[in-house]
Amino acid sequence: MPLVKEKYIPLFFIVPALAYEAYFSFYPTFSAVYGSFLTASGKFSTVNYKELVGLGVYHAITNTVVVTIGALALQFLLGFAIASILIRSFRGRNTFSALLMIPFATATVVAAYIFSNVFSPVGGYANSLLSFFGMASVNWNGAGSSFIINVLQLVVSDSWKNTPIVALILLAGMTAIPKDLYDAAAVDGAGWFSRLIHITIPNLIGFIVIALVIRGVSEFNIFAIALLIFPHKLLTTLVYGLFSLAAKPYLSFAGASVLLAFILVFVAIVLVLRKVFAAKEAY
Amino acid sequence: MMKKKSMDYLVYVAVIVISVLFMYPIFILFMIAFVPAKYTVQSAYPSLYPRGFTLQYFEQAFSINLFGPLLKSLEVAFMVGGIAIAIGIPAAYGLSKLKPSWAGGIATLLFLSNMMPSITIAIPIAVEFLELGLYDTAISLALAQELVVLPLSIFILLGAFQALPKDLEAQARVDGAGLLRTIYTVLTPLAKAGVAATFLIAWMMSWDEFTFAIFLSPIHPTLPIIIYENITRGNILATSAFALIVTLPVIVLAVVLSKYLKGEYLAGGLNG
Repeated sequence: MPLVKEKYIPLFFIVPALAYEAYFSFYPTFSAVYGSFLTASGKFSTVNYKELVGLGVYHAITNTVVVTIGALALQFLLGFAIASILIRSFRGRNTFSALLMIPFATATVVAAYIFSNVFSPVGGYANSLLSFFGMASVNWNGAGSSFIINVLQLVVSDSWKNTPIVALILLAGMTAIPKDLYDAAAVDGAGWFSRLIHITIPNLIGFIVIALVIRGVSEFNIFAIALLIFPHKLLTTLVYGLFSLAAKPYLSFAGASVLLAFILVFVAIVLVLRKVFAAKEAY
Repeated sequence: MMKKKSMDYLVYVAVIVISVLFMYPIFILFMIAFVPAKYTVQSAYPSLYPRGFTLQYFEQAFSINLFGPLLKSLEVAFMVGGIAIAIGIPAAYGLSKLKPSWAGGIATLLFLSNMMPSITIAIPIAVEFLELGLYDTAISLALAQELVVLPLSIFILLGAFQALPKDLEAQARVDGAGLLRTIYTVLTPLAKAGVAATFLIAWMMSWDEFTFAIFLSPIHPTLPIIIYENITRGNILATSAFALIVTLPVIVLAVVLSKYLKGEYLAGGLNG
């Protein structure tokens, strides 16, 4: 008679991973959320959140959401285009896919450093390029620079490093789509757009969700790039704001809880969208 | 047929445009590191191509403390990779044997922990490590970075195990191999591409990590923190050379090992 039933054995193998995650992730998260409702003297209150509002948390939230949406849009459009190229066979394909590894392998801090030199109001390569084409310089992040321009450069800088990952995941999904689906659609006379809507996207949905979750969560956490491009806190994202609050633990717990709430909402939206698309696929 | 040919040209044009867009920033890093500053960051409109050559900043870069942080970064990255494999393999095996509904639930739980923002966790964890006397050590940083890495690692390994033929394991067991021996001497070697991908991605994620490092390892920092500190000190030119020294080996590594960095692995458990 075995000590435990055979079917429970797999569970034991998962215990170390779960225990580790519980201790290092769930427990600190719980204590941060709990701590966010405490005052320094240990009283239960929402004063930390009120103070956050005073510090301009709404501003940081708007910035983070706008940057996240912009970055995801750019990375998915470009990533989709790159994956559509990589799925074809052409001479130089391997070189092209190896080149895409370069931004991926560049550390975020280094990418941020490069782009702080690209989008510099003086001595910036972006303005050099503009003047090369005979266009006027842009005030990228100096005093009085516009919000849209600030968001744009953060999105571009972040997408340089992260588009390749999105492209690789989407490519994996495209490779898995049976080719006869497209052949059948071609017989039916389906055009490019119709194939995209009825075959490519529904079959990619699992991969799109993975890429969205992996990228979306780290976009919400965007920090090092904003820190280096905007040293004067021109555009503070949530984590950037939190970084300057770190000396006040209870207040920073409140900020961290706000961030967590947004990430959970984001993931919930992605999962609901997945359900909606999966339902469409069933037709 | 004509249509096909024009499509080919279009693909090549797109390949060239995308390649230039993705390569040019690295080229800029080279220029700032090797071209006299009067043509690069000190010029109102920096030259878009190299107009001179100097090794001055490269020499300055070696005055930045490289060795200690390099050692720390390597130490932490190998620990993160090692832990990802050590905890990830049994967990992925366990998940591959569970009923799909159970496995789905546990995988969701693991990914949920991946969604906890680093900064939410970094501050309470720093307090904990201070109490344990582990603050600023390599293992404490590795354990923190593992949080982001482990769920993805399990997911990649799960995909690798699911891709193996089902009756392989049964055969090994019939031949008298115990469960642990089956996992480590039969299944793991066959899933070695997935294991290599896991290690590589874990290693690179640690090498790159900034948020935990700045909170948990401020006294003996890792390389990303050194780069950040030198930029904030205004040490711009030497930092460019330094950043190049730090980045090039990883780029070479990633290009050489790019067959292990496929999207199939990142989307691992989806195939099942």
